[in-house]
Amino acid sequence: MSKQNLFSTQSSPTPILVVKNVTKKFPGVVALDRISFEVFPGTVHALLGENGAGKSTLVKILYGIYTPDEGEIYVNGEKVSITSPRDAIKYGIVMVSQSPILIDRLTIAENLILSLKKYKLFNSTRKAYDEIVKALEKVQLEIDPNTEVYRLTYTQKQLVEIARALLLGAKILILDEATTYLPEVEKKKLFSFFHQFADEGNSVIVITHKLTEALAISDYITVLRRGKTVATVERGKATIDLIRRYIFGEAEYSGRKLRGDEGEVGEDIVLSLKDLWVKGDLGDYRVKGVSLDIRKGEIIGIAGITGNGQLELFEAIMGLRKVDKGKIIINGVNTTNKPTRFIRKLGVGYIPDNPLRYGLSTEHTLAENIALSPVYDEFIIPWDRIYKDSEKLVKKYGIVTPGIHTPMKLLSGGNIMKTLVSRELEYASTLLIAYNPTRGLDEFTAYKVRRNIYEKSRSSGLTVFFASEDLDEVLELSDRVVVMNSGRFVGVFKREEVVRDKIEELMVM
Amino acid sequence: MDFLHLIISATPLILAYYLTSLGHSIVEKSGVLNLAIDGVFVLGVSIAFSQAIYTGNNLLLSLSSSMLVAIVIGLFMTYIVTKFPVSHGAVGLSLMFLCYGLAGVIGVPARILQSTTGESIGYAFSPEGVEWLYSFIAIVVLGIISHFMIEKTKLGAMIRACGEDPLSAEALGVNVMMTRLIAALIGFGLMGLGAGVFELYYSRIWREGHGVGQGWIAFSISLSSGRHPILGILTSIIFGLLYEHRFSIVALGLPREFAEALPFITAILAMVIYMSTPLKRKLAPPKSLGKPFFKEERTI
Amino acid sequence: MVRFELVVVKRVKPLPRWVIPIIAFVIGTLIATTLLYFLTGGRSNPKILLDGIVNALMTPQLLLKNFALLTIVGVGLLISFKAAVWNIGGEGQFYFAIIAAAWVALFSGLGKIVFVNKFLMLILGLTAAGLWALLASLPRAFLGVDEVPVTLLMNYIAYYIVDYLVFGPWREQQYKYTRTPTLPTESWFINIPGTTLTFELLILTVVALVFAWFLLNYTRVGLMIRVMGSNPHVLRVVGINTYKVIMIALTISGMVVGIAGVSYLASEAHLITIPAETRTPALGYTGILVAWLSMLEIIYVPIAAYIVSILLTAGINIQIAGAGGFSVTNVFIGSILLIYSILVIFSEYKIKIIIKKR
Repeated sequence: MSKQNLFSTQSSPTPILVVKNVTKKFPGVVALDRISFEVFPGTVHALLGENGAGKSTLVKILYGIYTPDEGEIYVNGEKVSITSPRDAIKYGIVMVSQSPILIDRLTIAENLILSLKKYKLFNSTRKAYDEIVKALEKVQLEIDPNTEVYRLTYTQKQLVEIARALLLGAKILILDEATTYLPEVEKKKLFSFFHQFADEGNSVIVITHKLTEALAISDYITVLRRGKTVATVERGKATIDLIRRYIFGEAEYSGRKLRGDEGEVGEDIVLSLKDLWVKGDLGDYRVKGVSLDIRKGEIIGIAGITGNGQLELFEAIMGLRKVDKGKIIINGVNTTNKPTRFIRKLGVGYIPDNPLRYGLSTEHTLAENIALSPVYDEFIIPWDRIYKDSEKLVKKYGIVTPGIHTPMKLLSGGNIMKTLVSRELEYASTLLIAYNPTRGLDEFTAYKVRRNIYEKSRSSGLTVFFASEDLDEVLELSDRVVVMNSGRFVGVFKREEVVRDKIEELMVM
Repeated sequence: MDFLHLIISATPLILAYYLTSLGHSIVEKSGVLNLAIDGVFVLGVSIAFSQAIYTGNNLLLSLSSSMLVAIVIGLFMTYIVTKFPVSHGAVGLSLMFLCYGLAGVIGVPARILQSTTGESIGYAFSPEGVEWLYSFIAIVVLGIISHFMIEKTKLGAMIRACGEDPLSAEALGVNVMMTRLIAALIGFGLMGLGAGVFELYYSRIWREGHGVGQGWIAFSISLSSGRHPILGILTSIIFGLLYEHRFSIVALGLPREFAEALPFITAILAMVIYMSTPLKRKLAPPKSLGKPFFKEERTI
Repeated sequence: MVRFELVVVKRVKPLPRWVIPIIAFVIGTLIATTLLYFLTGGRSNPKILLDGIVNALMTPQLLLKNFALLTIVGVGLLISFKAAVWNIGGEGQFYFAIIAAAWVALFSGLGKIVFVNKFLMLILGLTAAGLWALLASLPRAFLGVDEVPVTLLMNYIAYYIVDYLVFGPWREQQYKYTRTPTLPTESWFINIPGTTLTFELLILTVVALVFAWFLLNYTRVGLMIRVMGSNPHVLRVVGINTYKVIMIALTISGMVVGIAGVSYLASEAHLITIPAETRTPALGYTGILVAWLSMLEIIYVPIAAYIVSILLTAGINIQIAGAGGFSVTNVFIGSILLIYSILVIFSEYKIKIIIKKR
């Protein structure tokens, strides 16, 4: 894995952007470790990598949302200090992220005029009309600027934001996963716009985890892994296999054997998904027609880069998100769009994403959070029983805490996670749905949690349906692996059929 | 002719209601929950009264004073709730109490003075004159200008953006603090003016506690009309007429208290209707009204 | 060029919270005193104010009634505030309880039967108050309408209902004064000699505190209320309907406030005068101050109630430049609450001063 230096291969014009040895640390983690790369004018440059590789952090630094701890940034040869998006815009850097910043109740024109300094307070919005229409035309969006943003589709909102970048005089356009959720047709239109934009001497930096996308549109691809630059490759020299290896690196197994003798998988179907379609928060479909049958005692893991629909799928199963089309059946009971309480009562445990927000109340104590488990249903809280159970859980799962009466917020992230896992694993009798169950845990603890899940499944026939950003985890724990990409199941592999390369490929296609 | 007389006698009240509710609407459109409205109103009334007494009924000066005091309070409140993640409601209610108290302390000495000199203050619309016509023209003009400002200008878009989603507004380049302060300047100025008009052109008397509850009627007018400057004209007229002629309502077979309670009932019903029908898009409260504005720390 | 910028940042470990109400009280009092001094052209002697406060401190027996009533209202509002449901409608709930209790005492025919009358007054009183609160909770629970303006405006509707009843069908007929007839003495709560307190009120205060304590700490409903206030998302995930929690929190809150209303009627007023808007003891509002100052901890409610009742008692006896006690008290209450609302964030946040060099 050598760093390929572009200067040595061709005589190129001066780079429009140079990032040199940029380092960024957050408490407990080094997000970026001496990152260096260059972007040339007139090019489309892709930044590839898994989640946590550092792509988002890097562009947030370029856009002034973070400041680097070390390193330098040069724009057009001039060293710059970017401490806010306003600074970045001054240097011609504009970022569009995957979550729109447009304000729903205002019109397109009103949203855009907010960014344009040249219009004064009492100027009528109409004055900016022509300029706005021109920008919208450039991104091929034919829509009346007086349309309220809430009427727009997700795609249209993204296009408006790109139009805004144009209006701000962007020379370097950064798209942080902004293209990832667009439908194919729209993507193609957008890509042709990128080329046009680049032909005018500007540059586009596209962050994506989709290899095929990167290969399709970019002139250069820079791969990041765990905060380091792995390589920068010219399009001509890039192959799927090469890039894939750069993204994932060599497979490293922890060497600890997780699974023992294989147990019997039951005949009964515990969870059945039939042609499920679920919309995301932004109004577009995130789950696009998935079907799957899971048998009693099976452990099914979803392999996939975050953001491909796993979250929405699990929320739909738990009754926390509306199912637009299709059916969910748990133990023969149709649970599609039923209230969460009903689903829980069937013995379903749930480890949600973002545990601090959706799983636990950090202001309250460990015991109080355990008390939230649906198993304690009585009107008068049986504190004695709960305290006993909590003590047992603390021992069994090795939760490090001064006591069961300590507020959760004083515990470390890993122990908060363990508390959540313990509560849900103990409660789940039929089915456990888990999203990133070992998030934030160190190697050994993560192993123990996986072991707990595995043992409970084998001993009591608990069916487990989980998703994890950590491919190793999915491969270690699952009886069957499902690969999810862009809202679809693109591959199902029995344990013995697993070919790691193939799965990785399916994840990033 | 009879109906015209009904309107003429209610006109100064309608004007006062409209000014106050319009000011309130503008402030809340920028995302600042204004529970201090009744306090600011009562204080404005007291200031207008006392200044009129001390300046020998100089109406201009008295009105300016009440506007000034309202603006100072408004700017203070807006700054505090935008800069720090404090509860808008708590700050608003505390200012309400404070203003009630200050109104009493400021007004009573002037009242005592008045009782010795016996002079009257304010200006009464003459029943044959055309002040009422000018008032309505002023109301309509003000309504049109405000509506234009809010819906058609950049400042209006900035104000509404702050009320809907201040974090996105910041990302889009709006200076939320500056925008809210401007909205407060205009809005509280109008509220202070409304209070002054109420005192000097409508009631023209004063005692401790005078004006309590009138601010809430203006509040209800604002909410009932979805904070819309033109709809607010209609609501101000209806509730102004109702209040002025509340004793005559008995003739219709309805208790007087019903007339008094009607603005509040209407406001609640309006809020329910606006939130549950397509009207939501135009007339619902600003999405981030009253929400503490807290920017996640930037790691520097 | 050097620029200073104030940045508000979340604390890792919160500060001890009890410090803040004390600081708020001190600073608020200072500000109020200063304001009054300057506004009255130096005529208001700060000493008089402080004397008033000290006097109030020295004669606790006079405070006790307000103290008890404020404790009940405070703890009632606390129940709702714990769920982050802001019950500003204490006044309306207070008066609805009074209406129901007055009806029992005056017009039900049972008003003179001992024990039964008081029992019925309480039951019907807190039911009426609870229903009024339940009504207010519906727009919030089902439509997401902010409960603050709704509960607040319903206070005024309640005032007018009272006005209508007392001005009309319930008016005392002897002199046609704008009040109800005096309640039969059998319905009066029994005075504890030497104080302004009554036995029933004392018992009810203890009952309210114990009830709130038990509800919030030992029942599932109480746990839901508490979690709702800190993280409503968790409730959804665990399968609890948040709209049920909102409705229950407000209704129970209203019921407890209703207890205070009945107690006020039976311990102090013994009749209803109107206009309610000006005659009200405004406990529904000062109760908010008590609930906030207690930082939503039941243990601190009596302490906060005591402090506020000192202010109320002191204020009644003071006349500043002719302005009545209520104006003065309002200045104090307003200042203290204002300073408190600002300072309270410092338990969770701190201010960093960032120096930016260009």
